[in-house]
Amino acid sequence: MVYYLLMPLVSILLIVLQITIADVIFSGRLVMEISLIVVICVAFRLDLVKGVISCFVLGFVYDCIAGSVLGLFALIYTVVFLVSFFISLHLIAEEMHLVALLTLLCALLEELIIFIFYNLAYGYNAGQNNPLTFLSRVLIVSALAPLLFSVLHKFEVFFYGKTAQSAERSGSGRASAEI
Amino acid sequence: MFFFKNYKTIIIVALIVLVALLTLSYNAKQERGAGFLRKTILEAAAPVQGALNSAVKSVSNAWQRYIRLVGLEKENRILQSRVNELQAELILYQESFLEAERLKNLLSLQKELNYTFVAARVIGREQAGLAKTILINKGSAHGLREGMPVIAHPGVVGRLIQVTWHASKVMLLIDESSNVDAIVQRTRTQGIIRGAGSGGCVLKYISKMHDVKNGDAIVTSGIGGIFPKGLLIGVVSNVARQEAGLFLKINIAPAIDFSRLEEVSVIVAAGDEKG
Repeated sequence: MVYYLLMPLVSILLIVLQITIADVIFSGRLVMEISLIVVICVAFRLDLVKGVISCFVLGFVYDCIAGSVLGLFALIYTVVFLVSFFISLHLIAEEMHLVALLTLLCALLEELIIFIFYNLAYGYNAGQNNPLTFLSRVLIVSALAPLLFSVLHKFEVFFYGKTAQSAERSGSGRASAEI
Repeated sequence: MFFFKNYKTIIIVALIVLVALLTLSYNAKQERGAGFLRKTILEAAAPVQGALNSAVKSVSNAWQRYIRLVGLEKENRILQSRVNELQAELILYQESFLEAERLKNLLSLQKELNYTFVAARVIGREQAGLAKTILINKGSAHGLREGMPVIAHPGVVGRLIQVTWHASKVMLLIDESSNVDAIVQRTRTQGIIRGAGSGGCVLKYISKMHDVKNGDAIVTSGIGGIFPKGLLIGVVSNVARQEAGLFLKINIAPAIDFSRLEEVSVIVAAGDEKG
């Protein structure tokens, strides 16, 4: 219960941190989407129910703070989580090149959903305006993912003595990492 | 109930996806107003964002200050090297100015006297022991001969004792073997100036009967045919009347500071001998 109460606060903190860091490094020209990497991390470490709720809340907070259409990132992060979750059943989080590849796929999926949504809802081609921004955003996230995974891995080993994924990773029956 | 227990996970996931879809489809059609949830989350995010921003700003400011300090250090190094360059330049100018002053004095002395001069630069000194000599950079090639008098502002330096083609040795007034015929300017009393090494000179053969006081100027008498008449030698620094003997013991402080001598003039001919 404490987890679900703390989750919105942690999500707010994460999104604000992400926006601030991006603002400092790229002066607001690019978004460094750490939250997407966190969603993929969650897919590797939490069970299905907890993970899907966490990602929905994270996406919702992102929508509220970033000012996008309410529900867009909630849906995207939920979908990305589900995809990552099912792929993670066949992947090990320590394989960093695979993590980078999965993040790249998820970032592309995210961009695809945004593109489809804006096209269908407003008839606006979101991709054609700035393909370079889109590409750099996807590449930055993919490059950052292994780093973040490795930090998280070290963090887990330091606190729990093992990674959460190393437990019985068999679909929804995996062990929950208590935050 | 049994159905829900069996498919609990799938139902929850499907519900979440459905809620997301409904939220999106509802909000896609609406104006982007500030709903209650959005307001609440923004309200909660504001202090966090404020705190993070101020933290980042302070780090950024510290970094900017550091960058500025690095820049300052570089600028300081450049300015320091410029200061060193300018100091060296200033020393050069000061040296030139002092040299010009000395040469001006020498020239004024030359103008006062109706003689032909050869100006020379001091290139060496030998003032250890009894011999007090200097080496100048002019020699017989410039018309110098042994015995010629050497002067500088404001008076007599000595005379040439050795002359090579391009250098000459000058025996200074204070050399112990130097003797110059002189007179006390005020009383016109005649005597002999003898070198006394680092003690300066002494005026010899002045009878106790004569009036000589401290501060009296001593000039060349012109007798002996080496030094022209009236060149300043020095001033009386001490007069002692000894019990024994016929003469006064008179110490002379030379007019020239021999340790700081850099340029001199050699009198090569009298004015009427010119050409």
